Amino acid sequence: MTGRRARRPGETVFTVVLLLVSLYLLWSAYGIAGFESLSSPGAIPLATTAAMVVTAALVLLKTAQTPANREETLKHDILPPMIAIFAGLLIGYALLLEPLGFLPTSFLFLTVAIRLLSKRSIIHAALIALFSLILVYVLFRIVFTVLVPPGIVPEGEILAWIRHLVSGKA
Amino acid sequence: MATLAAFFTVFTHPELFALVALGTFAGVYVGAIPGLSVTMAVSILISFTFSWDVMPAIALMIGIYMGGVYGGSRTAILLNIPGAPAAIATAIDGYPMAKRGQAGEAIGITTTMSFFGGFVGIIVLAVAAPFVSNFALTFQPRDYMLLAVLGLLLVGSLAGESLVKGIFCGALGLMLGTVGMDPLTFTQRFTFDLPLLQSGISFIAVMIGLFGVSEALSQLHHIDKTPVRQAISRIVPSFATIRKHLPLSLQTSALGVLIGALPGTGGDIAALMAYDHAKRVTRNPERAFGDGAIEGLVAPETANNAAVGGAFIPMMTLGIPGDAVTAIMIGALFIHGLNPGPMLMVEKPDMFWFIVGGLVLANFCMLLFGLTGIKLFVKIVEMPRAVLVPLIMLLSIVGAYAVNNSITDVYWMLGFGVFGYFLKLYGYPLGPIILGVILSRLLDDNWRRAIISERGSLPDFFLGLVSSPLSLTLFLAVLFIFFSQTPPWKRWRGRREALRAKADPARPAAATGSEGGR
Repeated sequence: MTGRRARRPGETVFTVVLLLVSLYLLWSAYGIAGFESLSSPGAIPLATTAAMVVTAALVLLKTAQTPANREETLKHDILPPMIAIFAGLLIGYALLLEPLGFLPTSFLFLTVAIRLLSKRSIIHAALIALFSLILVYVLFRIVFTVLVPPGIVPEGEILAWIRHLVSGKA
Repeated sequence: MATLAAFFTVFTHPELFALVALGTFAGVYVGAIPGLSVTMAVSILISFTFSWDVMPAIALMIGIYMGGVYGGSRTAILLNIPGAPAAIATAIDGYPMAKRGQAGEAIGITTTMSFFGGFVGIIVLAVAAPFVSNFALTFQPRDYMLLAVLGLLLVGSLAGESLVKGIFCGALGLMLGTVGMDPLTFTQRFTFDLPLLQSGISFIAVMIGLFGVSEALSQLHHIDKTPVRQAISRIVPSFATIRKHLPLSLQTSALGVLIGALPGTGGDIAALMAYDHAKRVTRNPERAFGDGAIEGLVAPETANNAAVGGAFIPMMTLGIPGDAVTAIMIGALFIHGLNPGPMLMVEKPDMFWFIVGGLVLANFCMLLFGLTGIKLFVKIVEMPRAVLVPLIMLLSIVGAYAVNNSITDVYWMLGFGVFGYFLKLYGYPLGPIILGVILSRLLDDNWRRAIISERGSLPDFFLGLVSSPLSLTLFLAVLFIFFSQTPPWKRWRGRREALRAKADPARPAAATGSEGGR
């Protein structure tokens, strides 16, 4: 494990970004209270961001010295299309979650995701999605009573209605 | 006699017995599911049990707490996602074991050791509560600060391939913990005038992002490969295995109780410190740490369950929470008209012994539920990746949303998920980030309190540090651990070991290699 591994594609750029962000945060930490006193609210932020800058710089120095890995490519090993698509899917899911609601958004997400990954028919994917969604819904919404965004499906009212029905009969 | 009667209350009342059992069962699953935290479950339970009597309410919460601390280990082993922060260290060796097809063995040893640690914690709680609380009472802000630093040094142990990258991640975690309104002076820190940053970044969102989504994204690399079948071998561990690890488990249990008893530090820190301890004292592990060493499971699991008993010590004797869950339980006791603190022990000793009894029962239930029902649990893991990966993502999003019912947390979670994916890809360890976030408040608050109490004078601070035996001990521990992780020290030790090996060929020099090289 001690042996240095080769530099992966994009590693230098990533380290540079980390260093720049660290520098910006250091500047921001300085803005909290400057070097006012050791007990100022800015003391620990200043110390931690300084540590980030120093370590990021050291990592950059080391990274620049290591030979590049010739076998790996950015497209194949770092950001294959599938991962980019999924990052997009996740963002789409988060964006639609509140306006559309938990049930339709999750169903769409699961169907598309399972279809993409399993390469089976869309019907097959939709059925598995529906089944998993029911399990998740029962566990989280009914057993753990976690709140989810209702959106266009009035699931809260339906649940209340069912509960009322059950308690009415009992 | 009254003590004994109070102790056996849970065993003699069927409904209390059932509530503890039910709580433990639910706790195992709550703890196991990422995004559902024991803290969350117990706080929701307060509102449910508000109208109940105090004993059933406490019985249920004790069960959830005990089961939840243990439950996080299952997903850590089977999915490499710690279900709870206390199981972060368990994933390091538990997951490699599961990948080798030893998931059953890993769960078995984890359960047994959690049971063992839990018992040590309860015994210490029952026997030494007054002594330990007296000791913790003398702690100054300075000592808490040193404790936080001590915790941070674990970065060295979690860093993996590069210590510098580990320190970067630890510092990043500390910084993330300070985001938002400073509670002492109401100064804005790293908020960039954005309202959404004022209350800080939800720690749970960071954790779910780093351990849930980033893992799910990484798994997309191997989606075409056949899923690793997590074969469940024998679950009940052999007596020989238990006996072999008994000395280590005793040490880490003691460590767990101590850390748990210190206010503000709970099972999560106890588990990480115990893991570090195991790495130091285990000379020749059968497998290297991080590659599925049994010692790497024994240590954190005994410690985090021992910390449960420990956490009750300051809660019952001083009214100070040992961790987040006990903080909520103090609230529950208040609601039911009890006043946790030194007077509770004097006025209502029955309550104390009832809780001790409840913990004992919960511990037995945990052992029972832990060693059974795993086949069902594993079904979740044996799902094809094409279904599992989207489901992990879905659960991560729901979990992040459920904490505060806020979509902002979901965005943070996704952001950290993508960031964590790249960090992992480029060899940055994710554990230190979480460690930093957890310890940030403890370090920040107590550093400033300590400096203010010395009127801002650094020389006075150091004078106070060396003149108090407790602070001095902690400070020396910090220095020792720090220097033992630096490269010159490791080289020196390596040379010494090599010389010794030359002088005595029977003694292998491999010990330092496995310890220091990683």
